[in-house]
Amino acid sequence: MSGNTETATTAARPAGAPQKSLLAKLGLDRFSALYLWGAFMVIFGIWKTDTFLSVASAKLIMGENVAVGILALAFLIPFCASTFDLSIGSVMSLSVVITCFLSDEKSRSFNMPVGYAALIAVLACMCVGVISGFVVVKLKVNSFIATLGIGQVVSAIVLKLSFNRQITGTFSSTFERFGRGDLLGIPVVFYYLAVLGLICWFVLEHTPVGRFIYATGGNPEAARLAGVRTNRIVWGSLIASSTMAGIAGVVLSAKVGLFTSATGPNYLFPAIAAVFFGASQLKGRPNVGGTFIALFALAFGIKGLQLVVGTDSYWVNPMFQGTTLIIAVALASQRGVAKLRKRKAPAAA
Amino acid sequence: MSWTPDEIRRGGIGTGVEGTGMSKILQIWSLSKTFPGQLALNDATFDVEEGEVHALVGQNGSGKSTLIKVLAGFHDPDPGHHVTMRDELFAMGSTQAAHEAGIRFVHQDLGLVEAVSAVENLALGFGYRTGFGRRIKWREETARAKQALLDLGFDINVRVPVAMLSGAERTGVAIARALQDSEHNISILILDEPTASLPGADVDRLFEAVRRLKDRGISVVFVSHHLEEVFEIADRVTVLRDARVVATRSTSELDMSSLIELIVGHKVTAASVDRTIDASSAPRLAVSGLTGLGLNDVSFEVRPGEVLGVAGLTGSGRDTLIPSLSGVIDRFGDVTIDGVSLPSGDPGVSIASGLAFVPADRLRNGIISMMSVRSNTTIADVKRNKTGLRLNHKKEKAEANEWIRSLSVVTTGSEAPVSTLSGGNQQKVMMSRSFRLNPKVLLLDEPTQGVDIGAKEEIHTFVDSAAASGSAVVVASTDSAELARLCDRVIVMHKGAIVDTVLRNGGSGAGSMAERVDQVLLAGSSLVTHK
Repeated sequence: MSGNTETATTAARPAGAPQKSLLAKLGLDRFSALYLWGAFMVIFGIWKTDTFLSVASAKLIMGENVAVGILALAFLIPFCASTFDLSIGSVMSLSVVITCFLSDEKSRSFNMPVGYAALIAVLACMCVGVISGFVVVKLKVNSFIATLGIGQVVSAIVLKLSFNRQITGTFSSTFERFGRGDLLGIPVVFYYLAVLGLICWFVLEHTPVGRFIYATGGNPEAARLAGVRTNRIVWGSLIASSTMAGIAGVVLSAKVGLFTSATGPNYLFPAIAAVFFGASQLKGRPNVGGTFIALFALAFGIKGLQLVVGTDSYWVNPMFQGTTLIIAVALASQRGVAKLRKRKAPAAA
Repeated sequence: MSWTPDEIRRGGIGTGVEGTGMSKILQIWSLSKTFPGQLALNDATFDVEEGEVHALVGQNGSGKSTLIKVLAGFHDPDPGHHVTMRDELFAMGSTQAAHEAGIRFVHQDLGLVEAVSAVENLALGFGYRTGFGRRIKWREETARAKQALLDLGFDINVRVPVAMLSGAERTGVAIARALQDSEHNISILILDEPTASLPGADVDRLFEAVRRLKDRGISVVFVSHHLEEVFEIADRVTVLRDARVVATRSTSELDMSSLIELIVGHKVTAASVDRTIDASSAPRLAVSGLTGLGLNDVSFEVRPGEVLGVAGLTGSGRDTLIPSLSGVIDRFGDVTIDGVSLPSGDPGVSIASGLAFVPADRLRNGIISMMSVRSNTTIADVKRNKTGLRLNHKKEKAEANEWIRSLSVVTTGSEAPVSTLSGGNQQKVMMSRSFRLNPKVLLLDEPTQGVDIGAKEEIHTFVDSAAASGSAVVVASTDSAELARLCDRVIVMHKGAIVDTVLRNGGSGAGSMAERVDQVLLAGSSLVTHK
């Protein structure tokens, strides 16, 4: 039918769309993190060749960012369903404090084998997710508010358990080997991140559940009417995120072996930044691959800058996280760029 | 440069345009607009006469909106055109030029600030009148807004947020805002699909405003998919097809079928429905004592292969019947499919029991706009393409492409975001989502609203095939012609109850089925007293 072929060309090329811009051809929008990563490698590689471009520093970055990476996955799962879980930082603290507390030989009453301690820690975190889910789904509190509040409550529990002091877990050497060793020249904890990442990727991209999560995130009412059990999806995603945060805490315990009150909150922003930045990468929606690319692009950048700044580099991390997130997301948002250009055109009457 | 109406009527300038003898304000010759890889407007000729209502019709993508956008100055036209405004050369290409020439636009989304009052919305476009210390003279502003709306026939409270006004009233505010300007002599108002989201009664109020504008000597150009509106309000109509202006005619010399023929480019013969429904068969869908938002104890049955229409004014229950049945809103009462009862407010269970539906509010309740055509097609039954734990993307893609083909959805492919599709094609995706379930019961709420006439006929054919395959179909529509085209039986609703039933074959009343439905609709309230 003639009408159809005519509209076909319209659909293929929306009226008024300019030809593919240079920006689009380079894929700056969908691969900005990769470009950024490359730029960091070149800049800091030239600047600090011997320290930055070493196997040791690469291993350090990989190892250091595992907990953040797992936490990013924890944030990602509910985020795909347009649900925020801001409690994951505190939940990770809870996991660390429980693991350390239960296996601490000074608190004679427990002195539990670390395996059990870790299991209890993860289960406790899972319970937090069940409660968050209840508050969001049943009490219909906006997830942003609900998890912010629950995060505070969890922080309070963490402070009470730890008396706001540093706790050192006494772990078996086996457990420490799980956290500190290398396997095939790569920090062993990195494999945990890789495995968890693969599981998340498989679930989100290759199972019906993943489709339901994204559908819930895209249009919850339409998804519900199409038969998706959106309440279960939201609730389940919050349980998954808390559990994941619990696992991040156990991994961190094995790696670092002690709890301090700064453990949780410092990990939350980098994780969220990686998810937000990553959402603009590869697919134009939150996804595992983009999150990982963004995470390590930022991590390498920070390490490079820390090496350049030297000893006085404690401020580098937040400064860098904040600025790169905003710049990268702004660059990735083609709409934002187009708007800037349009300001030259006369305003509509 | 000017031509007398006589010369134009004789075709002296080769436009083929027939005038009605009034003086022309705006005249356009050989206007083209090329986008990269696409000729969106091809050598268009168009004119507007003083004080006329001029309808602009055509299928989606025929060039209507390009023509309007070029006029508005959003797009630069290709060189070689010739445009005069009141016999003076008019240089298009900027919003400023259109404004100074006295052309005003009201776009489909109206562009109102919903949270503030009509007074403030009018002032936003014009500036507040201020007194000492830049104090806003609210009383004066209010009086001015009130008068501007009264002139259009809207006697409304101008102090409440416009979000609280009805659709027609909001359109009125947008028109009043576009027209408030004493510096320029406003001669043309262009309304882009003003009635697309208005219920029937509101359309009448809007047309009243249009008639008042006409009386004030302002020409109104309006774009519409509703062809019956063209005959109701327009003096002349210009038809676009495939980026060309195919005709400009006086509405008095056209009838519906000749207009459709101009739009589509060939004769459309409405397929006559000939279904045989086994009256002895058990009802597929049985509804009894349905009570809910705007519904009071409604009962009816639909047999396999039967198409039941639901007619009624907005607020009669016609608009909440399908949302109540499909789980958009909660309900009381028994709804069964083949004797199996459906729970209220649980679409998942209903779908598993054989229910499928296409909601009226496609953007809110239907389309998941960030997802692809494929995901939108399969979302109601994703598990079908699962092998083991894994979703078989290849199989799913093939299935989606099959649906794209069989419903001739215009898209770049199954992976295109559904938001890149036109409204009509999104509606076809919604249809394929439902048909794919092989539903026992198919509920369609305003299945062709905002859909162009070609796609409309295709959608109607799908409904026929669903009925032919044994589904019980319920169609709620404000379009009586559509109900007559599709349905074996139409129930007419008023104040939440069924007041009458119009049958395709036989039954009381004279005239075609559409006419009989309209008669009952108009009789509305009196029928209730009869019962």
